[in-house]
Formats: sequence, C-alpha cells, structure tokens
Amino acid sequence: MVRRCCALLLLLVPALAFAQPRPPAVALQNGALTATLPLEVLNDSAVRKQLGSGLTTTFLIIAREGKALSAARLEVRYDLWDEVWLVRRIEFDRRGDVQRVTSREALEAWWRGPVRLIARAPRSRLQIELTVLPFSAAEEEDARQWIAKSGGVGTANSGSLVDALIGTTISAKPIVSYRWDVEVPAR
Amino acid sequence: MTRARSLVWLLVTSAATMAAFWILLHQISAVWLDVALHPEVRAALERSLDDQKQLRALDPAQRENYRARFNETRRLLNRMEVIRLNREAMLRRFELALLGVFAIALLAAAVVTWRRHRRMQDASRREFLERVAALQETARRHAHEIKGPLTAARLELDRLGELARSGGDVAEAQESVAQELTRLARFTTEFSQFGGLGEPVLRRESLAALLDEFCATFANAWNGVTLRVTEPSHASVCADRDMIRQVLINLCTNAARAGAQSIAFTIGRNTVDVRDDGGGIAESLRARIFDPYVTTRKIGEGMGLGLSISRKILLDHGGDLVLAETSPSGTVFRLIFRELTC
Repeated sequence: MVRRCCALLLLLVPALAFAQPRPPAVALQNGALTATLPLEVLNDSAVRKQLGSGLTTTFLIIAREGKALSAARLEVRYDLWDEVWLVRRIEFDRRGDVQRVTSREALEAWWRGPVRLIARAPRSRLQIELTVLPFSAAEEEDARQWIAKSGGVGTANSGSLVDALIGTTISAKPIVSYRWDVEVPAR
Repeated sequence: MTRARSLVWLLVTSAATMAAFWILLHQISAVWLDVALHPEVRAALERSLDDQKQLRALDPAQRENYRARFNETRRLLNRMEVIRLNREAMLRRFELALLGVFAIALLAAAVVTWRRHRRMQDASRREFLERVAALQETARRHAHEIKGPLTAARLELDRLGELARSGGDVAEAQESVAQELTRLARFTTEFSQFGGLGEPVLRRESLAALLDEFCATFANAWNGVTLRVTEPSHASVCADRDMIRQVLINLCTNAARAGAQSIAFTIGRNTVDVRDDGGGIAESLRARIFDPYVTTRKIGEGMGLGLSISRKILLDHGGDLVLAETSPSGTVFRLIFRELTC
C-alpha cells in the first residue's frame, strides 16, 4: 500500500511542479478573436507577490498562428497612496482602457474581461504565450537613468561604455511564462 | 621545452591572477550592491510611506505635500526593486566587464614584456656580432701591422745576404731593415701605452702655461696646422703634465688627419676646449668614438686607440673627455678636469 502511494506521489510531484493554468478562453467577438486569461495566473504566488510591490506588473500576451504574430498587454499596479489597483488593458490595435479598481474582487472581475487579441479569426489552432514581467518599460528606463546618475555617469559627457553596460543589464526578466495551444471556436 | 614550460607557467599564473581578481571583484561588487539594497533601507522607506499616509489623515491641509513626498519615496523604492530584480545580472555584467579590462591589461603587459624580451635578445645578438666584427677588424690590423715590416725585413735580409756574398754595399739594406724594425717598435709602443697607463702623478698646473708650452713645443709638429690659445686664463688644475700633453698630441694628430688648418685651445674654469676646423666626425661614429680600435684610417695607418687612451687619462684624473660638438666645419673636444686638491 505504502509503495503504491509512493509511486503515485512520484508521478504526481513532477506533474504538480510543472502544472500550468488551464488555457485562456478564446471567443470570436465582432470578427476579432478575444482571449480571457485564467484566474490562476493572477493568483499565482509569484504574481501575487509582485502585484503588491508598487511596480507595474505587465502581462504580455502573444498569439502566434504560423508566422503571423499579434499581441496585447495588461498592466496592473497597486497604488499605495490611494490603495487602489490601477489597471490598463492594451489590445492588438493599441486601443484599451484604464481603470481604478478598489478591491481584489473588482480586480478579478476586471481580469475576467476578454482581451481582443487578433483582428480576424484564425483558421483552426493558435499558440498563445503569456509572459509576466515584473515592471514596465518606463520603470525600467527610470531605474536605468537613476543608476547612471548615481554612478556619476548620467551626464552629457558620461562614459558610453558604462551607459551601455547599464542599459543592457537592466531588463525585465519574466516572473512566469506560459504557452498554450488553443483551439479556435467555429464561426 | 623551456619555452613550453614558460608558456604553461604564464597561463597558469594569469588564470590564477584572474580567478583571484574575479573573487575579489565579486565580493566587493556584491557588498556595495547589498548595502544599497539592504532590507533595513527598504523597511525604513516603507515606514516612511506609512508615515506620509498617516500624516495625510492628521493634517489634510498638507495632503498634496505629503503625497509628493510619498510619490518620491515610492519611486525610490520602485527603482530599488528594479535593481534588486536585476541584482545577479548586474553583478555578472559588471564583473565580466571589469574582468575583460583586467584581461586586456594583462595581455597588453604580456605582449609588452615579450616584445621587450625580444628586443633585448636582438640587441644582445647585435652587440655580440658587433664585438666579433670589431675583434676581426682588430686581428686584421694586428696581422697587417706585424706582417708588413716582417715581410719587408725578410726581403731586405735576403738582399743583405746576396750583397754580403757579392761584396756589395750593405749599408742601404741595413738601414731598410732598421726602418721596418722601427715601424714594429712604434706599433708595440702604442699597445704599451694603452696597456701600461699608470696612475697620474697630480700636481697643480696652470692651464695657460701648460698650453703655451705645448703650442711652442709642437708648433711645427703637424705640417700646415697652427696652434693657439684663444683665451688666456689663470685657471689651474691638478694634472699630470706629461699625460695631458699625450692627450693633446692625440687630439691634434686626429685633427691634422681630418684636414684641420688651425687648432685653438680655449681655457674654462676647469676645462679646455680643443677646437679644430677639420672635416668633423661622421654621425655613425660619434657614439663609438672613444671605443678602442674605432678608426676611420686604413689598415696599417693606426690602431684607433688614441681617443680611448686620452679619455682613460682624463677619467683617471677624475674628469672626462667629451665630444662637445662636431660638424663638417670642425670639431670641439672638451677636456674636463675635476676640482681636486693635490
């Protein structure tokens, strides 16, 4: 009996370790393909921790269909002063919305909203990649400038080598990333 | 084999130095970065955020000021968080960059050392070859100086034998043999001088008197060359009169051979300039002019020891003999006397 349990555990542990959330729900809406990200992503422990950091957590969604690419982005920042979530949705055509949500429940409700990902409906299957970045490009640039100035090299006469060193070193490494193969619903 | 071992040794020491540098660098960089990102600093800044928020409630009139400060602190915290998230990458990148600079410096030093070593090897080889060439030249001169009179004397002796048998006049042949023997004696005298230079016997000498006497004694020694003292002076030095005279003879002989018409002696406080209007000294010879056996004369016309002997004499006086200037219109040698008490 014990042996069976152990064998079962051995099989389950890697499966649990590499478990990833269920795929995004995709749907066709006014000719465009929309994706709704699973709530597990928002509740992932690393993501939760990052959401409270005060930095802008960026969820980069990339859809691939063969060689064709399309992307959308979600940004979430907790405003520590007003204690609200500032959320932003940027869809494939760069349209989107900015909202202030006051509770975790409201954030989850916003999260469940669909994101327009591709202008037209793909033929059958597509690949969706989600990369969660710990800070935005603006915050990255701000930190880069700050380090350069702190090191006394951010002036007009600064050493380009040091600038290049800093510029190429600071980058947003993904906290988590997922990849799903998604079936496109029939029109 | 030795070269291979040296190369291995160089590589091992370079690798060890770079590893030590890497460890040191990692420790230093990590310390500074960790100081900047210390959790206590972060905690203090976060407390400051809470304080601003509480102050907002206590003093609503200053709300905007507190908010500005809050945002400022928050931005600082954000930057620190970005750095913290990039800590490892930053450390690695900076270490690699500095290690690269260190490696380049190490490589440059190795290249410079190797090139210097090669240059020294080349110089050593060149010096050796020059020494051998100088010795070959000396041997040739010696052989010629000895062989010439010997051959001539031998021929004259043969002639003397024939004259003796035929009852002819042997006086002329005898004279000729004597002349060849005199040439040999002159040759050996030059070497005796060079090898047997004794210590100078120093006495206080008036340079003006010494030079006046020299000019008077040797006025006709070199055909067509006039000797004069241009600036009489009361300067006196400690010198061996005979030895200094020998120096002056050597200099005047060289000047006459260089085509000088006039030789002027100028007395300084403890110097004598010997200026001639000869053809000067070729640039290629200037650096070696005082070396033994350096001469422009043909084989059989001198051994090139005169200037060596002269400089040795002045050095033994505690002074020196230098080539002050030379050009196609003349040459100046300077005798420098050390101020000695005798």
